[in-house]
Amino acid sequence: MWSLGGAVTDEEKLNRAQVHVVLRRSWSMARAFKRTINAAIFYVLVSVTCVIAGPILVRTGIDQGIRTSNETALNITVGLYVIVTAIAYVSGRMQYMYLNQAGENFLRVLRVRVFDRLIHQSMSYYDREKAGVLVARMTADIEAMAELVQWGLLQFVGSFFLLTIAIVVLFVLSWQLTLVALIVLPFIIIASVKFQRDSNRAYLDVRERIGLNMSTLQEGITGVRVIQAYAREDEQVRRFTASNRSLYDSHMRSVRVSTWYFGFVEFAGIAAGGLIVGVGGWLVHKDQVSLGTVVAFVLLLANLFDPVQQLSQLYNTLQSAGAALLKLYGILDSEPEIGETPDAVVLPATGDIEVANVTFSYRGVEQIALHDVSLTVRHGERLALVGPTGAGKSTLAKLIARLYDPAVGVVSFAGVNLKDATLESLRKRIVVVPQEGFLFDGTITDNVRMAKPTATDAEVENALRQLGVWDRFLTFPDGLATEVRERGSRLSAGERQLVALSRAALVDPSVLILDEATSNLDPGTERDIEAALEQLMKGRTVIVVAHRLSTVRRADRIAVIDGGRVAEIGTHADLVQRGGHYATLVSHWVNPVQQNT
Amino acid sequence: MDDRAQRADWRVLVTELRNQRRGLLIGVGVGLAWSVGKISVPQLTRLAIDRGITGNGSLLLWTMLILVAAIVAGVFAGSRRYFAFRESRLTETVLREKLFEHIQRLHVGFHDRAQTGQLMSRASSDLSLIQAFVVMIPLTLSNVAMVVAVVIILLISDPFLAVIALAPLPFINVAARQFSQRIHPAVMAVQQEQAQLANVVEETVSGVRVVKGFGAENLQAQKLAKEADDIQKASMDAARIRSRFLPAIDLLPSLGLVAVLGIGGHRVLNGDMTLGGLVAFNTYLTLLIWPLRTIGMTVALGQRAATALMRINEVLSEEAEIASPVQPVSLPASTGQRVVGTVDFEHVSFTYQGTDKPVFTDVSLSVAAGESIAIVGETGSGKSTVARLLLRFYDSQSGVVRIDGIDVRDIQLQDVRRAVGVVFEDTLLFSDSVASNIAFARPDISFSQIERAAQLAGAHEFILALPNGYDTLLGERGYSLSGGQRQRIAIARAIVADPRVLILDDATSAVDPSKEQEIRDALATVMKDRTTIVIAHRPATIQLADRVVFIVGDGTVVSGLHDELMKNNDAYRAVLATYVERVVS
Repeated sequence: MWSLGGAVTDEEKLNRAQVHVVLRRSWSMARAFKRTINAAIFYVLVSVTCVIAGPILVRTGIDQGIRTSNETALNITVGLYVIVTAIAYVSGRMQYMYLNQAGENFLRVLRVRVFDRLIHQSMSYYDREKAGVLVARMTADIEAMAELVQWGLLQFVGSFFLLTIAIVVLFVLSWQLTLVALIVLPFIIIASVKFQRDSNRAYLDVRERIGLNMSTLQEGITGVRVIQAYAREDEQVRRFTASNRSLYDSHMRSVRVSTWYFGFVEFAGIAAGGLIVGVGGWLVHKDQVSLGTVVAFVLLLANLFDPVQQLSQLYNTLQSAGAALLKLYGILDSEPEIGETPDAVVLPATGDIEVANVTFSYRGVEQIALHDVSLTVRHGERLALVGPTGAGKSTLAKLIARLYDPAVGVVSFAGVNLKDATLESLRKRIVVVPQEGFLFDGTITDNVRMAKPTATDAEVENALRQLGVWDRFLTFPDGLATEVRERGSRLSAGERQLVALSRAALVDPSVLILDEATSNLDPGTERDIEAALEQLMKGRTVIVVAHRLSTVRRADRIAVIDGGRVAEIGTHADLVQRGGHYATLVSHWVNPVQQNT
Repeated sequence: MDDRAQRADWRVLVTELRNQRRGLLIGVGVGLAWSVGKISVPQLTRLAIDRGITGNGSLLLWTMLILVAAIVAGVFAGSRRYFAFRESRLTETVLREKLFEHIQRLHVGFHDRAQTGQLMSRASSDLSLIQAFVVMIPLTLSNVAMVVAVVIILLISDPFLAVIALAPLPFINVAARQFSQRIHPAVMAVQQEQAQLANVVEETVSGVRVVKGFGAENLQAQKLAKEADDIQKASMDAARIRSRFLPAIDLLPSLGLVAVLGIGGHRVLNGDMTLGGLVAFNTYLTLLIWPLRTIGMTVALGQRAATALMRINEVLSEEAEIASPVQPVSLPASTGQRVVGTVDFEHVSFTYQGTDKPVFTDVSLSVAAGESIAIVGETGSGKSTVARLLLRFYDSQSGVVRIDGIDVRDIQLQDVRRAVGVVFEDTLLFSDSVASNIAFARPDISFSQIERAAQLAGAHEFILALPNGYDTLLGERGYSLSGGQRQRIAIARAIVADPRVLILDDATSAVDPSKEQEIRDALATVMKDRTTIVIAHRPATIQLADRVVFIVGDGTVVSGLHDELMKNNDAYRAVLATYVERVVS
């Protein structure tokens, strides 16, 4: 009583060309473990042969032993039956192991390759694709195939062989009785195909309604404060009951679809047996077939009908696996946009940053993000980028770190176009510290060291000491070996930020690109971060996307970005005097109470 | 778990099953009819062979009777399945409604502790486990009936052969149960490993900027390869368990069949048994295979349902701590010109459950009817707690909270909440039309009233610009509004409720500063002649109120005018300054 694989929507159904692609590529991946696959097929064949051998032996026992009163023949048959059963058990175990081994190998290779492709895609890819979808590719889509691997593959291959061999054997035993059995078979096939279609449709509806019901449920739970605040509990219960009952109705529709099918299959199985006995008995009277053959036919019938049912039910599982594979192969085929040129050079240790006539827009977005931007940042200089949200400050920062390549123009470091630099040296010279400290599962040390996996413990310690955060992390229960848990939930937002800064210190870059946090931190942590930042910025070129006046005031120069252009650039004093954008901005900062009044 | 707790868990299910006894009994009856049809087939086959083929009886008659049995078995096989599923889905549905209603009425303190995901899985996966067990109840009963009948028939027709042939069969049951028990942890282990891999993927994708920024792609790829290996290992462990049990379960009946052929064959030779009897014996044995397997499965499903029931019962046995009083007092009506809506906190002390730091220590605070106050304090100082105590989301540990002079604990809960209208900081909109979201508190109001509320909240214009205006669907699957737009809908929602006391809990925090002016004007209209508590940190919003109540970090409050406090109170200035620094971006 397997619960059968998920339903497939029309969009998921593959066309012929796609099926071809999926099969060809799967085979080329599976070829690496061809021997396992061959072994699996061999044992499946042995198992199937044993299954069919049972009724044949019963026939021999009846015809050669019982009907002719030949005890020796009967005993030999029984002995053979025991041997066949033993072989069936051994080959049954082997087929499971080999098929699973082949399948799991395939999935492992698929996981590793797809992830490898994903991780080497450039940033613009991650802007285009939704994070949830990418995660689903690596999890739900591959797991959908795990079901197929665990039992579906075995059933598919087994059913196919069983059906083929059973028909051949039946024909050899008696073509007349085979014809009787084949009268019933088309009905089973038609019913199975119709059932597969109807239940697929019904199941899609159930799935849809489960989703709706879950959102109503979730809304009732997450919105419980609003609901109670407005005393609307009764209304919510009514709403939920309505969606819950509509799910029930949908379940019932799907049950009705299977009711007649299971009833029919039960009827057809027994009726076919009855027909075989009736027609077979008549043929026995006419000496056309032996009684043993009739009995063998009755016993073999199940081997004819079961595979048909199983194959039709596997159809969905195969379809969704095919659809998943097609999507995964799509990922394997996509080439990363940011790569290294064959003759890439290592960037010099220090140098000026030069942005020359850079124009850039995000893929799929019409609006131009940066418009012919040019600016130079001298080695050791601090430049603050200010401006309204969406003006292009962060985009400019990202281009300087070569998270994207400009459409027009050049970004260079120490006179080397970033496009011509090795990625490794680029990541060493220019480091981005994002707004929020993003932590990975692992210890604090792991999280710092991810910036430079070859760093020694002493180097990590040195980086932390340099920022003055060493002592703070030592107070944790396991010190630096403390597990930060998922997303660093064990640490406060401020502590996560300190870890992020330590990463940058460990790399010891020449250029630091900072995206200043806008969120609130408690004042104590904020001071620690300020101090750590100050240490980190020492002796480095700093480009900071600034939100606070205090940060802006510490910069050597300020660039006001507005509408994707550099509106103003200069020192604080210069710009205030000029009385332009920056001067207005500063007046808001200094006296926010008057804002908008 | 002791027996009594276990019985209490089952009671939830048993009560429901008793309510459905009619459907369940029909299911069992239909199942028994199916068994009769199934059991008659081998007998008829025997008679067909012995009388119709080897004997001289009418082959046609017995063949026809087999076809009749086929119809009986077919009709009842379908309908026994139908009733089993119908009843189990009904149980699941009803229990889910019970659970939802209970969760809806549980106090906010419970919801603070409970995780949404946990509650969701009570109402989904745990109930599915129960459904999977309930569906097996009528099916298993008819299966058991069939097994018993077949065993009796075999014992009567040939006791010795029956014992030998049946001997391997109990092992099917044992093996099925063992398999179920062993495979379950193995499958869980696979899922565990899958979850870990999902974690690596998830953190890599969400932290892709960090990964790329430091060139840590290969590091993450190594992590993933390790997790992929772990999944493979765990999956192979599960495969090993399957390979050990499933072929055995498949083949155990064959041993019985061999015995029948061997011993039975000799009996036929000796004339102790007919050939038809031998074939019938054989078919009876195959008839037992599925029922025996499912009986083993049912036991395992029952165990899983029991733990699911235990988790569900944990929620159902939670009692609502905040409830209406037995003898409620009603609030004084707003008659003619008398404005109602005074609020008094008298010596209120309050600490959240599970924390030791008191939010309020002996705080007293009065707001006159029609007056507006602004509550200011540091993040986490308990500003929002004022609103929550007034709504009676929580009861204070000591002291009294009064609305119009009456202790909120003496008023019907519904009345308290109708008297107080809140606009929360994080605005929750329901998956419904804009109009229904605004009319949330009073679904029966007219469309013009909805429009007027939206106009007052400064939301009318942007609503008209939405694809379907007031009929635009919002929420998870609907149109997504900006934070400021959501807050304005929430303000309209509060206006519709027309409360005596209006609380704006950081209600304009997500509104674009350029739009805030507009909303402040709207708010001023709404606040006129209505008791209003504004929780805010933007000076311009604070100045909307008649006076400021400043919550000092130590759990006490200071009251005064904004300008006064700015001049005389350092702490007040400092708190406002920390917010002010961050307004520009």
